[in-house]
Order: sequence, then C-alpha cells, then structure tokens
Amino acid sequence: MNMIRRVYNMLSIALVMLAMALTAASCGGGGLEKAVKKAFIDGDTTQACYEKICALIKENPKSYAEFVTESGDINVEALGKYINEIGSKLRPPMTWDITGYGLKELTLTIYFERSGSMTPYDTPGGGGQLKKAVNDLINFFPSKEGTKINIVNDNIYPYSGTVDSFLQDRNIYESTKGTGNASYTDFKLIFEKIIQAQKPGNVSVLITDLIYSPQNTADVSVEKILNEENSVATSIFKTYKGKSIIVNQLMGDYNGQYYPYNGAPFSYNGKRPFYVIIVADASTIDRMNADDNFAKFLRPGGLKNSYRFNQAASELNFKVVPDWKDNVGRFRQSRSEQNLLTHCEGDRETGVLCFTIAANLKPLAKDDSFLTNVANYNVQSQSGFDITIRAIKHDDVTNNNRAYLDGMTHLITAKGKFNTSRDELSMTLANQFPEWIKESSSTSDIDPNAAGFSTTTFGLERFLQGIYDAFSAGNDSYGKIIIKLED
Amino acid sequence: MRDKLIFLVLGAVISVLFWIFRVELYEALYSVNGFSDQMYNTGAYGTVAAVTVAMSWGMAAIYYYVINSVKFDRWYHWLAMLGVTAVLTPVVCFIVVSNLLEGFDYGTAVFTFQIYNILFTALTFVIASFSIRWWSSNCRHTPIPQ
Repeated sequence: MNMIRRVYNMLSIALVMLAMALTAASCGGGGLEKAVKKAFIDGDTTQACYEKICALIKENPKSYAEFVTESGDINVEALGKYINEIGSKLRPPMTWDITGYGLKELTLTIYFERSGSMTPYDTPGGGGQLKKAVNDLINFFPSKEGTKINIVNDNIYPYSGTVDSFLQDRNIYESTKGTGNASYTDFKLIFEKIIQAQKPGNVSVLITDLIYSPQNTADVSVEKILNEENSVATSIFKTYKGKSIIVNQLMGDYNGQYYPYNGAPFSYNGKRPFYVIIVADASTIDRMNADDNFAKFLRPGGLKNSYRFNQAASELNFKVVPDWKDNVGRFRQSRSEQNLLTHCEGDRETGVLCFTIAANLKPLAKDDSFLTNVANYNVQSQSGFDITIRAIKHDDVTNNNRAYLDGMTHLITAKGKFNTSRDELSMTLANQFPEWIKESSSTSDIDPNAAGFSTTTFGLERFLQGIYDAFSAGNDSYGKIIIKLED
Repeated sequence: MRDKLIFLVLGAVISVLFWIFRVELYEALYSVNGFSDQMYNTGAYGTVAAVTVAMSWGMAAIYYYVINSVKFDRWYHWLAMLGVTAVLTPVVCFIVVSNLLEGFDYGTAVFTFQIYNILFTALTFVIASFSIRWWSSNCRHTPIPQ
C-alpha cells in the first residue's frame, strides 16, 4: 500500500513539473502580443491584419485601455509603439508602420490652368489626354469629399460647376471661357496663393504647361526672362521648406495657336508636354507614397517623367536574407546589430563573398528603372564590392524567407572578394537634378519644326532648377544602406 | 537529510538556469542562418528546453520511484534509462518543433538540432538523477554508490 502511495506521489510531482515547464514555455504575453507576433512571423503586416488587432482591442477595451482613446477610438500612436517594440525583439528586428491607417482623409484641390496656350490641349478633335489626366486625378484620389476645382490664369477663380459636372464636361475650356485673363499666367501669384491656402491634409494639384508667361515682356531678352523665372521659383519656395512638390510630365495632343515667347503666334497640331504639379506638406506626400490607395493618383496613366522636389533622405528598412540562392561564402548576422555581418569568409576556392539584402524602397516613390539602375548608386567598400539590384518577384517568396522579404520591395546582392578583416559596404542612392528636365527644356520656341519642339517646354529647366535650389540643401541622397562586415 | 536537499535544490536551480539561458546554450552548439531566427521568433527554444527538462526529471522519477526495484539497480540499468530518455525526448521535441515551424522548410535543421539536444537531455537527466535519487528505497545507490 505504501509503495502505491509513493508511486502516486512521485507521478504527481512529475506531472506537476511537466505542467509547470509547459506553462513556462508557452508564456509570453496575452492575446494582443501573440496576434502582433504572429503578424510579424507570418509576414502579414497588412491593413487587414491591423483591423483584426484593433478588433481584438475593442473586444476587451479594459484590458487594453492604453491603446484606446477617451472617445473609444484606437490610439494609433500608442499601438504603433507597442507593435514596433514587439517587432524589435524579433529576429531580424521588424517594423510595421501603421500611422497611415488611423489618419483622417486627405482633401484635394485642383488648379486648372486656363491660359491661351492651354486651351489647344483640349479641343474636340484632340485625344483629350489633358482632361483625362485631370479626371483621373479626381477619380483616383481616395476621397471625393472636399474636392475643390479652381481655374487659373492671371489669378485663381473658383470653378462654377460641381466636381461631377467638371468630370463630364467634354469641352472644359469652352465652358470656362471668360474666366480671368487668359493672356498671361502669374506663377508667382498662383504658387503663393496655392501654398498659403493649403490647410493640413490638403493636396493641391496644378495642371499647367509650365511656360513662364508674365505680363509686359516685350523687348526683354530670353536670358533675362529665364533668369527671372529661376529667381521667382526660388523665392516662392525657399520660404516653404516644409512643402514638397512633385512634377509629373505627360504628353497630350495640341491643336491650335501656340504663342512663343518672342515670336509671332502660329498654328501647331501635334504632341506637347504638359505637367501635373502636386503640392503638399512633405509629410503628406510621404504618407501618400506609403499608401497604395494613392498609387494611381501619384503616378497617373501616360506618365512620362516625374520628379519630387524636397524629398528628404529616407531611413531605409532592410534585412539581410540569410538563406538565399545567390549567397556565396559564409557569414553570420549579428544578433545585436542589424547591419553587422560577423564570421565573414569568402568562398574557399574563389575568395568571393556574396550576400543579399532585402530592402523596402517604396518610400522613395521612384520608378523601378531608376531604382534598379546600379549607376544611380554610389557604392563604396574597401574590398570593392559590386552590387546588383532587382525588384522582388512573387516567386521569390518562400515560407523560409517570408519573414525577411515581407514588406520589402527590392533585392540588393553584393559581391566581392572579402580580403580585409573588417569592411564597410555603403550604398547611397543619389538625389540629383534629373536629366529628363534638362532634356525637356528649350530656350527658343519660335519654330514648330525644330527638333524637340514637340517634347520640350520653353524655360522648363530654369524654372525647376529654381525650385530645386530652394530645397536642395541637405537633400543630396534619397537613402543610404550601410553593411558592416567582420571576419 | 540536509545534504540531500541541497542536491535537490541545486538540481532544480541548474534546470531553471538551463531554461533561462536556453537560447544562448542551444545556439552555442548549433546556429544556422534563418532556422535559428525562426526557432527564436516562434518561442521554440523555450518549448524544447521545457520539454527536455520535464522529460528528464519525469523519466528519472519513473526510474527511482516507479521502477524502483532491486532487479534494476545496477549502473547499466540507469544508463539504459538515460539512453531511452536521450532518444525519446528529442523525438518528442522533433514533433513539437516540426509543428511550431509548420510551413517552413527546415526539416534537416530540425533533425540536426535534435541530435544536439541529445546532449542536453543526457545532462539534465544526470542532474535530475542526482537530485532525486536519495529518496528512492531501492535505487538510491545507482549509478554511483552513496
């Protein structure tokens, strides 16, 4: 009998120990922490998953009071901090930007230029690319509420119709005939009014041919007028350092009178560039860049070229992909520093070390052709590493590498002979005044048969150079990735 | 009596320390890019360490208090029990980790990791044995006489 009791006691002890051990193993926070951790591990850092997390909090607001505001809404800032604290403890450390999910909707204000040189862009016989572009801007802006339309020439005039009537109007220049003075465009006045009228969360868009045509320019030399527009542009924007400007270039049919700067007007039928200029707080443009809902608004159909002025260098999110098909040699990622590789060793036969980084270049909002052109990167290292870069394809993602590729857009592969004990690989994406602006600019527009007349804009470079100069200080790169290597 | 209790307490402390420093100990022996990150992220190290400690102590308890027979009180009987534990525990851990890492393609790494876990299982079984054997009526002298 004693024996049975002893056995029973000992088995009880063993079972209690097992239960305690399993409890200890499974501990690690409540449902919220598990849900967040699961989102990171599964690579499901999406808005849908964020909504589920919010629902979890709202189901039990007392337990998660720190993430609920007094009005019962989610405290996005506190939740974002909590989520990223959990992410920072994972391997590799992960981040999840949820700030865009809880923000109020943005509003759109359209400024539609109606100068003499604009009306031929939307004639009944033309392709209507300009009107289509403006309609797309309105349609692809996520919120139509609060959208306002203005007509612009010597000043800014509110459009008398509704948004819907504007969208359906087949001859917008005819229906707005008589609005303002169409003989000149005062860019200084217009840009200053646009910026001054802009409230937080507002996005302003000017549709224009960007031809500087002020009053009283008779007998003024081309060089003088180009210098003037350069100075005007700088003087407008240098006082608004918090603003960002995106200049999108598109092409449209032009059928009608063209008014050159210092020559007689002539009739022209053919293609001409026009511009969609988006003006907003830099933080608002960053937010739109990060939100896929704005993708078609920021990059409309038919876009030929684009450049964002006043784009601060982004802190790029990246992860070394530990198990990748191109890897050559050996390395180990440091647990304490995300950008440190230790135990680096080249291939035994060739001495080559090759590793791949997954980076999120989406915040830069650049064309893939720009991002994947190695010539745009300034690559420096003692060992002379070369890089190749390409977009992540759907097929690249496997369960094993999902945690490293989730939220990333491009793969940067670095290859070189690691022949020092320590090295630092630095990759900088340079922010330079774009070549396309120079190529799209002319200093004479008197001859419609001249090469490049259909693809260039009079004085474009000097005007945009003026904006560039107003913002250029400290904006010489879009972002930088540094990888430290140790043997 | 006091000396025996010291062994028990010491064994328990070492086992707890093993669980606390599980990541460092396991990765000191076996660290593979990718796999080790997922073991860490999913909390698999904690589960494996807990199962290892619990099974070692449980199997030691079974030997000293359930089997507890003069017919099985020789050192090789104890060694056989250690061998069974050192095989059974990694098998259980392999199944547990495979479930935790379901969807990942880390089969070979999970298997290799469990080979290394044999060492930890054997060590914790020895620690458990020397912690609890003193109260066994028939096997207290196994594997080494008092």
